[in-house]
Amino acid sequence: MAGSRIRTRRWTRQEYDRLIDIGLLQEDDPIELIEGRLVVAEPQHDPHARAVELVVEALRAVFENGWRIRVQLPLALGPDSEPEPDVSVVRGSPRDAPVGPPTIADLVVEVADTSLRLDRGPKARVYAHAGITDYWIVNLVDRVVEVCRLPGGAGSGRSGYRSVARLRSEGAVAPLSMRHARIPVADLLP
Amino acid sequence: MSNPPIRTRRWTRHEYERLIDLDVLHEDEPVELLAGRLAVSEPQTTPHAVAIQLVEDALRAAFGMGWSIRVQLPLALDPDSEPEPDVAVVRGVARDHLRRHPADPVLVVEVAHDSLRLDRTIKARLYARAGIADYWIVNLVDRVVEVHREPIAEGRRRWRYGSLSVAQPGEILTPLAAVSGRISVDDLLP
Repeated sequence: MAGSRIRTRRWTRQEYDRLIDIGLLQEDDPIELIEGRLVVAEPQHDPHARAVELVVEALRAVFENGWRIRVQLPLALGPDSEPEPDVSVVRGSPRDAPVGPPTIADLVVEVADTSLRLDRGPKARVYAHAGITDYWIVNLVDRVVEVCRLPGGAGSGRSGYRSVARLRSEGAVAPLSMRHARIPVADLLP
Repeated sequence: MSNPPIRTRRWTRHEYERLIDLDVLHEDEPVELLAGRLAVSEPQTTPHAVAIQLVEDALRAAFGMGWSIRVQLPLALDPDSEPEPDVAVVRGVARDHLRRHPADPVLVVEVAHDSLRLDRTIKARLYARAGIADYWIVNLVDRVVEVHREPIAEGRRRWRYGSLSVAQPGEILTPLAAVSGRISVDDLLP
């Protein structure tokens, strides 16, 4: 059926939480709230899972004490989005964090094979809108890392970011919050 | 690797009714469940509202006693659809449907201006699949009534109407379930 013809009901984050509370959505359902839509995640293929592991390993080596490396855990971004990025880097330790998902991250990484369209479009917009200054897409289709920076403002286009650099496997990237670090792109690709 | 479109969560009719029971969705919210999707209805224009009244009056006169003429009320169509057509004619009296919404109307009428595409495609397929023998679209754009009949299967889950006739002003329509009824197209158009 032609999907685009129907305007579907949009949900707020508060309603989304309620759907989980009353059990209509299960906490471990592969669902994220993106711009009010309950987006179903595609099943993870092996290369996707592997890439997530590689990203975590690389980031853990760079971000040491005082940082949380979170894997597929929710971020509360604005009134109508609660994405669960593959990896997010948040300041502090889990013990002294306030109740509820973090509302900002220093770095968000999505590993994309089948989800490329989502990660470049709606999700990028959500991250940009929330003021996430460093957003990487580990693009398994083209074997590049797309580094999205400078969120919002004029000229930010469809992704919501004004700067998108595509780094090939011979390149390297430094997180904005860890400028001295150098992560070879090849380390992030399975 | 393919790059599928973004998939949103589909709902069953049972879940949809729970959403209403638990007041997550307000009963008066302009949404209907179409093939698992919570579709938001467009606000009604005045010609649309007038046409619904005209249809209701004409059908009440044509069908007479023993039939319920239901205006924008839900139908329990199939496991993942609960549409609220503009007008539906069902056998019996209102109290017959105290426990559950009717599932087998003999005639469904949609008044269409902005919703023309939706009414001709997604809704027509749903109504055909539910075996509704008589489906009319009061087309306010072209000022005609489209009469869709003979639901037929096209493959395993895909249905459509095999017959479409377009009634112009000046013509007379007879519902399949009220063979003595005579409804002038002019009486249905605002």
